[in-house]
Amino acid sequence: MTFLIALYALVVAARPAPTVAQAGGGQVTIPPDTAYGCIACHADKRTAFVMGVHADRGIRCHDCHGGDPAATVLPTAHRGRFVGKPDKVAIVSLCGSCHSDPDRMRQYGLPSGQVAELRTSRHGQLLLNRRDFHAPTCTDCHDAHMILRPDDARASTYPTNIPATCARCHQDATLMARYGLPTDQFERFRRSAHGVALFDDQNFAAPSCVGCHGTHSALPPTVTEIANVCGRCHVLVSQAFAAGPHAAAARDGRIAGCVGCHGNHDTERVPAERIAATCGRCHAAGTRAHALGTEIEQDVVQATADLHAAEEAIGRLTRAGRETGDAQFRYRTALTAYLQIAEVQHNLDVERLEELTRRVRSISRDLQGIADVAEEHRWEHQLFLVPVWFFALATLALALLALRRLERGSRHS
Amino acid sequence: MGARQAIRRWWSQFWDDVKSSTDAGLLAVPRFLGLLYGPIDTRLPIDQAFRKALGHRLPPHVGWRHALGGIAYLLFILLVVSGVLLAVHYRPSVSEAYPSIQHIVSGVTFGWLVRDLHVWAANLVVLAVLAHMTRVFVDAAHKPPRETTWLAGILLFFVVLAFGATGYLLPWDQWAYWAVTEALHVAEGVPVIGAPLVAVVRGDPFVSGATLSRFFAVHVIVLPWIAFALLVFHFTVIRRHGIAPPKRGAPPAGPGRRFFPNHLLRSLMVAAVVSALVISAAALWPRPLGDPADPTRLPASVRSTWIAVDVSRALAHYVGPWGFAAFSVLGVGLALMPLFDRGPERQLRRRPVVAALGTLFLAGFLAAWLAGRQLRSVPPPATLQHGQPGVALPVSRGDSVGVPGADSLRGTTP
Repeated sequence: MTFLIALYALVVAARPAPTVAQAGGGQVTIPPDTAYGCIACHADKRTAFVMGVHADRGIRCHDCHGGDPAATVLPTAHRGRFVGKPDKVAIVSLCGSCHSDPDRMRQYGLPSGQVAELRTSRHGQLLLNRRDFHAPTCTDCHDAHMILRPDDARASTYPTNIPATCARCHQDATLMARYGLPTDQFERFRRSAHGVALFDDQNFAAPSCVGCHGTHSALPPTVTEIANVCGRCHVLVSQAFAAGPHAAAARDGRIAGCVGCHGNHDTERVPAERIAATCGRCHAAGTRAHALGTEIEQDVVQATADLHAAEEAIGRLTRAGRETGDAQFRYRTALTAYLQIAEVQHNLDVERLEELTRRVRSISRDLQGIADVAEEHRWEHQLFLVPVWFFALATLALALLALRRLERGSRHS
Repeated sequence: MGARQAIRRWWSQFWDDVKSSTDAGLLAVPRFLGLLYGPIDTRLPIDQAFRKALGHRLPPHVGWRHALGGIAYLLFILLVVSGVLLAVHYRPSVSEAYPSIQHIVSGVTFGWLVRDLHVWAANLVVLAVLAHMTRVFVDAAHKPPRETTWLAGILLFFVVLAFGATGYLLPWDQWAYWAVTEALHVAEGVPVIGAPLVAVVRGDPFVSGATLSRFFAVHVIVLPWIAFALLVFHFTVIRRHGIAPPKRGAPPAGPGRRFFPNHLLRSLMVAAVVSALVISAAALWPRPLGDPADPTRLPASVRSTWIAVDVSRALAHYVGPWGFAAFSVLGVGLALMPLFDRGPERQLRRRPVVAALGTLFLAGFLAAWLAGRQLRSVPPPATLQHGQPGVALPVSRGDSVGVPGADSLRGTTP
């Protein structure tokens, strides 16, 4: 019995070391703790030691910190080129010693300009030029030890995690007070069209903070840059804007480009019924420009109502049991025209706007007409009842007649 | 002139032959024309059997109230014919069921009539069967030796209800989807047998394509054969035992009424009126389609358009699963009535217990039906257990069958 227990203990002890799933999908075997000297004391860094992209690539403690990993006791372990805990500026050059080397980064498909970019950013200017140690260094956004790839949902650089990563500092009122910055960007972004798309719809095409501000070269766009930044995604609207009268004002810096009407962090569509009010922020009521805004508002409100009526007409057609393929194609056409209205609003081409509005309205009216007809009392079906009842009553009468004759005949006999 | 006389002579000869060939008349034509039929008839006395059937006499007390069973049978035939026509165009899959109904209603010639005829006949056949059962119950026509007729009839009633329950899901619109979800939810609450039974019927943790396939198969393959067998049995036993004698008075004397042509003419009158009524109902009050079924979107309220669903929903809503079970037990008890209500007494007043139970069941059924029609309940939310294998939330089909671009339109204000 004792022998069996001893055998079992041996088998258990001989089992391979447990494995940990890696961010990259691969599996790496945790080496026995005793084989790598640093872990003997720094047990709290053990997780970071086996997880993350650096552990995947075989980068170990001593590659950054120096020292002798073969030793397990001080002072021998901290011998040689020992770095210990580098300061924020030293961290930049330490990371850059590998990440700024194109020859080393090429194999991973990584860019090598991060440090150069950081120097151009507000963060880099504060840290490297002014030695302001409140400014972030690499490890403040990427973590010091457990560096995860941006496509790992646990990474601080994962698209939906980026706003929170930035907010760690930018929501800190005492820290931001030093630079005179507001702290409500995260809350405003969360409610914006971009925030809703990113968080609620998990639409990673929507920009997080870095989409507009850049990553390592983070800076707020200047007034004249704004239209270009938005235009990277909103291509058609941006082209329309460039062709309109507001583009010149934006180039001169008299209006803050797109942000003039849409807000910066709380980017929102201007609702149809608030177009004139938005124009009124610059153009006083009674001016020609304000009248134009009112005209645009009326057209857009009308087109929105028409489009919803068309949608509702297709619903009615569906419930009446009609096939809606053709109607849905026409609805698509109306939707296309409706979406083009968004462009036209930005170059203030009222003639084109009215043409598009008319197109939406005409299709909407057609679809409503079709739905009305389908829902209408089905006359052709009710007319069908005339022959049905004629035959039914004729059968009834003839059968009655025949029965009478038969019964009279039987009584007679 | 000679040719004309020849034709006339040939015609009178032909007609005399037809008239003298049989007193049944109808079979004369095939016999006269068919070279094959003669030899067959000498071996299998079909003509003789047919003549015997036509010459059958019904007792003189058979009146219009005996037409109720016939009306139910007529509606059943209408359902079979319209159902076959529907099956030609209907496609039992999640993505195609709803569009195929739209196609039937708007694309197929007289498809609207076929569909609404099927809907209306399905509703009315329940009423017809109920009325027929009430008539039999009041007349005590189920008493020995006619218990088997009653039992077969009861089974037919359940088959009719099962037909309706399975057919109700097939349009795959929101009403159908959530009414069935709710009904199965109710059935799950029936003690002991409810949950495992529903698991088999539904085939998935929620009503899905698997449920649709099951319901379709049962509706068009299983139930028709059961119904056919039961009908053949029902009619055979009726012919064997004859119509039940009148409640009071001596058994009728005299030869009675011939089936052909007297009784058939009376049946024809009833059939003409009933068919015209069903067609009128179908043309005047078509059943609208709900929105396409969407398992991810609860409708504001569930509306039922079918009797059995109304009844079960009302029972489940007002008296709960136990009340539902109790009512079912009462129904089953009445179904087995011939086993205990065997006395010779046939006047309803002299069998108070049975009369009270029967009235209770009928009144409960009708009350539940009326209440269920008014009921606008909110369906139960899907209860999915996490970690259950094979559970995947159904993907919203709103964009594929609903309004295109409706999703992209959300919040789109330029």
